[in-house]
Amino acid sequence: MADSVVKGKVRVLIAKPGLDGHDQGAKVIAYGLKDAGFEVIYTGLRRTPEDIANAALDEDVDVIGLSILSGAHLSIVRRLMAVMDEKGIGDKMVLVGGIVPDEDIPRLKEMGVAEVFVSGTYITQVAEYIKDKLGIVQA
Amino acid sequence: MNEDLEKIKAAGKAWEEGPLAKALQRFPYLNAESARFYSPADLEDFDFLEKVGFPGTYPYTAGTFPIEPMAGLARLASMAGKGEIPGAGGQTRAAIYSGYGTPEDTRDYYKGLLEKGGRGGPNLAFDLPTQCGYDSDDPLSEGEVGKVGVCVDTLADFEIIYEPYRGDLDLDNIASNFTINAPANIIIAMYAALAEERGIPLDKLRATPQNDILKEYIARGTYIFPPAHALRMFRDSLVFMTEHMPNINVTSIGGYHIREAGATREQDLAFSMANAIAYLQVGVDAGLNVDEFAPRFTFNAFGGSMELIKEVAFQRAARRMYARILRERFGAKDPRSMRIRQAIGAHIGPSSTTLQRPLNNLTRAVIGAVASVLSGGRPLPFPPYDEPLGLGWSVEALQLAQDAGRIIACESRLLECTDPFAGSYCMESLTDEIEGAAWEELEKIEKQGGAVAAIENGYMQREVSRSAYERQRAMESGARLVVGVNCFTGENELEVSTNRLVANPYDPEKREQAEEKQKARLAELKRERDGREVARLLAELESLAAQEEANLLPHLVDCVKAYVTEGEICGVLRGVFGEYKAASPF
Repeated sequence: MADSVVKGKVRVLIAKPGLDGHDQGAKVIAYGLKDAGFEVIYTGLRRTPEDIANAALDEDVDVIGLSILSGAHLSIVRRLMAVMDEKGIGDKMVLVGGIVPDEDIPRLKEMGVAEVFVSGTYITQVAEYIKDKLGIVQA
Repeated sequence: MNEDLEKIKAAGKAWEEGPLAKALQRFPYLNAESARFYSPADLEDFDFLEKVGFPGTYPYTAGTFPIEPMAGLARLASMAGKGEIPGAGGQTRAAIYSGYGTPEDTRDYYKGLLEKGGRGGPNLAFDLPTQCGYDSDDPLSEGEVGKVGVCVDTLADFEIIYEPYRGDLDLDNIASNFTINAPANIIIAMYAALAEERGIPLDKLRATPQNDILKEYIARGTYIFPPAHALRMFRDSLVFMTEHMPNINVTSIGGYHIREAGATREQDLAFSMANAIAYLQVGVDAGLNVDEFAPRFTFNAFGGSMELIKEVAFQRAARRMYARILRERFGAKDPRSMRIRQAIGAHIGPSSTTLQRPLNNLTRAVIGAVASVLSGGRPLPFPPYDEPLGLGWSVEALQLAQDAGRIIACESRLLECTDPFAGSYCMESLTDEIEGAAWEELEKIEKQGGAVAAIENGYMQREVSRSAYERQRAMESGARLVVGVNCFTGENELEVSTNRLVANPYDPEKREQAEEKQKARLAELKRERDGREVARLLAELESLAAQEEANLLPHLVDCVKAYVTEGEICGVLRGVFGEYKAASPF
């Protein structure tokens, strides 16, 4: 993915899957990435994997950021990845943020998550990661 | 007095220009605000009775009660021997926030606690589908059944959970806690139905449903209906409980959730008070005298930061502000109406804890518990240090949190003085400052039409999100220091890690199977119940819900008795009330 250069503003979908209502992390990331020059779309709460994949498709985003604090990350990501594959967008960059126990991080990566950001992460780290991965010098 | 004050002011000026200025020259990275000194000049016209008063008397600045019941050391020691100090946890107390997997799993957990000598009623954590009004077999519930608490679809689930509570621990002898908001009335109906089944009069029931829906829109996110309809549900429970269940706390209003979501101290206080005002007004509008129901209002907890001195001031300001609102605005006469009763006092919030070097969170929680005691609360270090690891609290972390509270009480004897900062130039100034700022913010909300309007137009949500973002930026810029996260992270630091040696009481295998088991049992129940009666009750619910003046609670009791599911009830109400759509954060 590193050599595919995105032209124009990078579009990021920040999504809250599942029923977890703790959305301040998602909103903070959304504000931060917007200030860092990204085009940010926030889905709001309680999105199904289908909702998220559809939004990613409709909004033609480059990155999907999932915020999950409920412990349901494995089941949610597994289902989202399957739906994304079905819709032919299985290659889009998926990031996960929230409360994820250490031992689950490799499992999420095996499912196709590019990176997992846990508590204490700087938004600048996330922004740099996305730019680096997408091969962007200036977002 | 004035002459003295002139003298003090002159001495203060001389100090600023002399010793302080010299010191600041020597330490150029400091300024007078780095370590502020307060003198009588900061607290002119201080009126002790008006501003502070004696503990347990208006305006309750010095404390909710005349004396802290836990203050007696002899009593404490005898409790300590039996492991009964109401600490943050402990294996013998059932009152810790808990709820696991299926109702059977939760029943077994409580059974185990009771067998070990626990006496308290359950403090139930519900899973997210239950909190959001979806049954375990709803597609939206997939992967979430029994995850963050126990799943409750029907009265049958309550019957199972409460199996161990019989005899001298039956419903008339215990107090239950329900962390439930949007569907609170359904859970209350289940508790009432269970009591009726057991022949226990409703007025003997003691419980605290959280029933604080407004903060869900601002902070916690488990809303269902639009706020105005949610307030009608609140009215129904308030009126029903006042009439039939006078020993149930109507609500447990959460300041802490709002702070956890990112609010500043002043926003937290103002928004919580705005919500409380909305709830109180509901009761008044329903034709009740405020003193009939306000004594049954409780607060979940105020607090949520590490800033010890300001958190102490904040608790004092909150008590005074609430007392004033009740007496001056609502004309309350009963002192019990004016008191903030909270489950725990000052404490840090989970957002103050760090994933990095997690044992440091014990130190942090202790600081919160010290703030609690210094501001008229109990020594309850919260949360357990492994909170941010996302693995559930370990038994070890619970033990250490409880021990820390015991050490504060028994060894440091911090409870031996009530409101030790009363009259302090610093503390009284800060208390005034925080209260003043909160009144200002509250006025902004009043101008918009009150809490419901300020939620409908997205004001409170946006303000909280903005503050959360500012907080994050302050962490990234270093304006807010967090040890092990943005400072003291060099290679010379030891990344102390922790491990778990004692097995968690909830078997992870059971957790994995919970969803399938519950779905199977729900399917069986749906086959066995009287389907026509269910349909009839739901149709009647729909018609009642459309009549604003109708109190739905008696009908909800009938519904749950016929094993109508929570999801079915919420489905009908969604159809009538609609669903809340969150305002855009941008």
